[in-house]
Amino acid sequence: MGARVYPYLMVLPAVLVVVGVVVYPVISGIMTAFYDVTLRTLNTGTAQFVGFRNFERVFADPVFVQASTNTLIWVVLNVVAQLGLGLALALLLHRAMPGIGFFRSGILVPWVVPSVVAVLTWRWMYDPSVGIANEILLKLGILDRYHPWLGDTATSLYAVTVESIWKGTPFVMLLLLAALQMVPRSILEAASMDGASGWRKLWYVILPQIRVSFAIAAVLTFILTVNNFNAIWLMTEGGPLNSSEILFTLAYKYGFQRFDLGKASAVATMLFVGLVIATTVYLKLIQAKEGD
Amino acid sequence: MNIHRKLMTGAAALALGLGVGFSPALADNIVFWINSPLASSPDAPIYAELKAFEAETGHTVELQPVAHMEMERNLTVAMSGGAGPDVMALDIAWVAGLANAGLLMDLTEQTAPLAEGYQKGPLASGRFEQRQYALPLYTNNVALFVNNKMLADAGIDKAPTNWEEFREAAIAMTNAEKGTYGLTFGGSRTGAFQLYSFIWQNGGEVIDDEGKVRVGEPESVEAVEFLSSLYTEHKAMPDSVLTANSWDEVNAPFIQERAGMLVSGDWAIAALKNGNPNLDWSVHPLPVGKQAATVIGGYNLAVNANTSVGDASWQLVEWLTGPRSVELMGKYNRLSAAAGAAAPEAIAALPEEIKPFMEQADAGRARPVVAEWSQIHSEVFGTVWDSVLRGQPVADVMSKADAQTKSIMGQ
Repeated sequence: MGARVYPYLMVLPAVLVVVGVVVYPVISGIMTAFYDVTLRTLNTGTAQFVGFRNFERVFADPVFVQASTNTLIWVVLNVVAQLGLGLALALLLHRAMPGIGFFRSGILVPWVVPSVVAVLTWRWMYDPSVGIANEILLKLGILDRYHPWLGDTATSLYAVTVESIWKGTPFVMLLLLAALQMVPRSILEAASMDGASGWRKLWYVILPQIRVSFAIAAVLTFILTVNNFNAIWLMTEGGPLNSSEILFTLAYKYGFQRFDLGKASAVATMLFVGLVIATTVYLKLIQAKEGD
Repeated sequence: MNIHRKLMTGAAALALGLGVGFSPALADNIVFWINSPLASSPDAPIYAELKAFEAETGHTVELQPVAHMEMERNLTVAMSGGAGPDVMALDIAWVAGLANAGLLMDLTEQTAPLAEGYQKGPLASGRFEQRQYALPLYTNNVALFVNNKMLADAGIDKAPTNWEEFREAAIAMTNAEKGTYGLTFGGSRTGAFQLYSFIWQNGGEVIDDEGKVRVGEPESVEAVEFLSSLYTEHKAMPDSVLTANSWDEVNAPFIQERAGMLVSGDWAIAALKNGNPNLDWSVHPLPVGKQAATVIGGYNLAVNANTSVGDASWQLVEWLTGPRSVELMGKYNRLSAAAGAAAPEAIAALPEEIKPFMEQADAGRARPVVAEWSQIHSEVFGTVWDSVLRGQPVADVMSKADAQTKSIMGQ
């Protein structure tokens, strides 16, 4: 009996910690989405169960539709660009040549820089009067006058996306570079002897070999992008006119500007469920392919 | 041994007696959150003032500086959870929301006998639904900062005093080739804060004293049209107006001598002096429209409704906002809200750049004291200003804002 219980006793502290800091907050957050939790009801302890009323209120808000569309654009652009550029950089740096260590370290700088510093730097680079981004584009003849990248509703989301891609790509590169170094040299040599060109070798030999790492990178990039609050909040606060609003910033505004915690939890719950479904489906697909 | 023991006992009794005799009967520790500019360094005047308070009362004060942008959210989150400071400094626009949520101690009884000691406008900013929840620590309003050299170079010999002169000066100082502009202004909610004075100057209202929403009325529309046209039509504001969400960003073109005028409060003075010590600038009352008006700002002190040291907290609030605040706020180049600060001799003693703020204090208007104000300011007026700057018709935008404000107010 003792021997059977003993292992459970050993993991009990860890289970309690996980329940306390992960499971309970998640369940509490989901529960809040079904209650009328505002500043007043929170303080007086009179929050009432309202069923799906918070979700109805969220769906009735036109900003929610815009934030959902923006979230989709934000996620797709970030994931595709970070994976593409990350893979390209990993392939570029996966070769033996003098000084490669320096380049591998250097490329990690954006990832290492604290996000607040990075964002504020990019804000200055985008400045509509003295920003270097405008100056360079003007010198290259791409622009004929300075453009308020973050102040224009047509460009604000894409301007923030560029910063996010710059910041996130080195992490993807690092994951894929590690995976590339695990690919047996003999397989690559065999492919070369069979006459495989660079692209065919990449598609038929290298990518299948690193597909698990690639999948992990994709899932992590997806999750980190959906949850990337800093970049948007510090650069535009979701503006101007909600043009760069994503669901995360919208939930924050509901929660900490309007102090309508029920509505904020409704958005957070939808985000959570969406993340779980998307991640599960993707991992299942990868596992299925693995099985094939 | 016996003598030694007796001496020890005697010394202990003496120490105990002295301790009891000199210590206050009820010495409490007060946690005090203050807006960070007032406690920016260890030698900031507030620390000496708190030492004097501690010496006088025996209480101890734990001062915690909090950035303005973080203060409202942090207070709300902490106090809703039953925690937070005992005493807090509040932007006057936050009092109603926090009082409405039941987070502030009702100070009506304590403050009633002291009301004469404060300027009326700032005192009213701490009142919500006929109850007093806060007392004014300092007050301010917005005035016009002018780059003297740019104004002279534009051929204008005096700072504008009315809207027409204001527009002419802004246009005259604008030079697309040189990259100079007449006026630097904020975007979104920062710009909205600057907007209110002009709405009131034109006879417009946001929410009147009876609580009626009047955002869409022609006077308000005309005021917004006047200001926004300086950017959309006359190009007299730099493009930074589209993104300037902090005062640093609003001040930057003025500091860099790319903008000749700035509408701001006394908090800009230190930024201008630090940012460009060689800048030749002066402060003037805000140009007058149909009537004089300037938006009142400032900070109040309030007590947490859930504090366990209510009496000591009240003592601290009374100490810091009372007559001593004239000298204390003078050390920060800020305006005390005590009645004594409005006396002619007190105004005469102010630095030159501060005097215009005090001179126009009678025209000061508080923003509507309604619980939903923070939301109306950020979401409605921030959007109004962002929309009109991007060319949307002012009348349509204001009409929509009127409906939104009514909806938020439950009208």
